[in-house]
Amino acid sequence: MSIDFYWRLPTHGCHNSIQTSGYERGDWSPLRPGNIAPGRDRDGEVDGFTYIDHLAAIAQAAEAVGFQGGLIPSFPNTDDPWVISSLLARETKSFRFMIAFQPGFGNPVHTARMAASLQRATGGRLLFNIITGGGGPAQLWWGDSFAHDDRYGRTSEFLDIFKGVWNASDFSYDGAFYQLRSGGLAPALRGEEFPEIWFSGSSDAALQTAARHADYYLSWLEPFDQLGEKFARVKERTAALGGEQKCAVRVDLVARATEEEAWADIEKGFSNVSEEARQRWGGQGSDSVGAARQAALRPADARRYDDLIVAPNLWGGFSLLRGGPALGIVGSYEQCAARLDDLIARGTDAFILAGTPHLEEAYRVGEEVLPLLGRQASALPVAAE
Amino acid sequence: MTLSVHWRLDPAAEPRRSEPGAWQRLPALARDRRVSTQNRFDYFLQVAQAAAQTAFDGLFVRHRIEADESRIIAAIIARAVPHIHVVPEFPASVGSAVYAAKQATTFQRAAHDRLGWAIAPDAEPAGREAQADFVSDGDLAQRLDEFLTVARGVHRERPFSFKGSYFEVENGGFDAPLNRASFPRVYLQGSGDAALALSGRHADMHLFAPASTEALAKDIARLNALADGRSVAAGLIQPLLVRDERQTAERDARDRPLAPGTLVASYDEAAEILAGFAAIGITELVLEATPTLEEAYRIGQHLLPRLRALTSAARQAA
Ligand SMILES: Cc1cc2nc3c(=O)[nH]c(=O)nc-3n(C[C@H](O)[C@H](O)[C@H](O)COP(=O)(O)O)c2cc1C
Repeated sequence: MSIDFYWRLPTHGCHNSIQTSGYERGDWSPLRPGNIAPGRDRDGEVDGFTYIDHLAAIAQAAEAVGFQGGLIPSFPNTDDPWVISSLLARETKSFRFMIAFQPGFGNPVHTARMAASLQRATGGRLLFNIITGGGGPAQLWWGDSFAHDDRYGRTSEFLDIFKGVWNASDFSYDGAFYQLRSGGLAPALRGEEFPEIWFSGSSDAALQTAARHADYYLSWLEPFDQLGEKFARVKERTAALGGEQKCAVRVDLVARATEEEAWADIEKGFSNVSEEARQRWGGQGSDSVGAARQAALRPADARRYDDLIVAPNLWGGFSLLRGGPALGIVGSYEQCAARLDDLIARGTDAFILAGTPHLEEAYRVGEEVLPLLGRQASALPVAAE
Repeated sequence: MTLSVHWRLDPAAEPRRSEPGAWQRLPALARDRRVSTQNRFDYFLQVAQAAAQTAFDGLFVRHRIEADESRIIAAIIARAVPHIHVVPEFPASVGSAVYAAKQATTFQRAAHDRLGWAIAPDAEPAGREAQADFVSDGDLAQRLDEFLTVARGVHRERPFSFKGSYFEVENGGFDAPLNRASFPRVYLQGSGDAALALSGRHADMHLFAPASTEALAKDIARLNALADGRSVAAGLIQPLLVRDERQTAERDARDRPLAPGTLVASYDEAAEILAGFAAIGITELVLEATPTLEEAYRIGQHLLPRLRALTSAARQAA
């Protein structure tokens, strides 16, 4: 069995360090000297670099240390993954672009043509994280007023058509959300590998759609046994339908030479979070079941960083330090590798890892943690029941 | 007013070039060391480089369902080729207007505001149904109107709300830093009052099809009348077959199918005619000819200098 490791491209700027909350990389915080990409020259003048140049550096670092590629998230105030992938297509060699995409935002046939074009431009380096939206005000911001389960119905039909036209000339479809008469990709665009579909969403509707369409079911990190149970359920459900479901975890690491150094960085980061920011924590309107599963992990009122340690090497305060899910792994290189091994033992078939700052941590995790993997797999207890 | 001159790439033209599946085998005595990483995009980039190096102002990328997608091509070009403006053509059926506008911000941020949008005409009904698009003929203009209203709206203001028949958005609008990018320059086309009025509401530039100077002058006046105070510039899409001598051009014209309205002329004549269009108020030209690469060089090297000499002389005289 071999496991695929991906990194992540931060599409909302990046921090200099896990200890600070400012976006010193990119222009999401006010530009000042020292802010890179868009860079300022030594007189403080704009020097022509933009954030895409920094993303290029991260993608190149990730492919250099052996990550297969990276997840490219999409939210209202991020740069867009389709455009990022096109811009970086020719500046990377093996980096695979995992585009986070809400199917409702594109015509399915046009989207298939865009995907085939990107496959042709990159030699088959495109894949998708199909997302279906967290609902609430953000969904209306995007111009999408569909209700939660309808969004999954639409996603499912979208993927039917996307697959249907991929290598066909005469595909028709009569769904509740889409109809299509005699469509298909043009001959010049056919024959490309169909992009792998990773799929996220934790609700019942999500799991049903995943069982039908997903190569990988993707989850944020949850406490290990809880996650193991979720993966087992997903795999069983798909097996009952005659398919096979692989499962993947997206998780941040703070990996340092020693465990003490790792926690010291977390402690420093936690102490830099204002009381007010802590109060605001996690109060977004959303119908996301996945987000609720994360929020449920949050101890009500953490005063100290170690109030948020939920298990050995598992810290529940990441969303205080940077945007994204709450739970992540903190420890020495050996411990981080062992925790990833634990996850493999609980049914994880692939990972999307991340660390802050994404550029330097791609090298660190790639050089220090990945080589230690697999050492303890055989010594591990099998997944808890 | 200076005249901007763009080249137009048709991704479906010269379909065998740099298409790995269509490589012409070399005879056995010639060692072939082409590699699998060579692909069609090498050719698109060569055309873009040619246009940039021969001093075109921009490159349009046609919407062709039988070939690679124009916005993907445009982003790849913008990253690799400095200076020139890049204008993908696509129809309003591509999907969400908010999403299209958001994608434009990333492009603009990365490429220093060099993106334009040319809205392509919609396909005929059977073509649309094959694209999962069942909007009726009579409703296409309304969809395009809403598409541009929403795309511009979320770019311009926050919060922006709109509810139409095809697009809606509630408390939308981009935040910093995305809202610092400029909105792509919008090019619309089409003939008749309805198309001109739509340009009057939404376009930065209306692109006319080839016509005589007199007819174009009338159309420009009509465009301005319908724009109702908003300023919309006038441009022209002009296919060309130009050679050193008119006789050579006419001879070559007999050998090939030409796009409607192709200007068959010598370099000097073509420069005169195009300068004549500039004199009646055309401020952007979108030129096209095949083979796309060789003709970009030919026209960039022979026609553009003549044309620019005439238009700058006219500017100085004015
Ligand atoms: C690993 C992972 C990555 C995600 N990335 C994105 C993203 O980039 N953009 C987004 O809008 N939602 C993202 N989501 C959210 C989900 O796709 C989904 O919309 C949300 O969980 C609501 O679905 P649910 O109610 O089924 O959980 C992500 C979720 C997971 C688990």
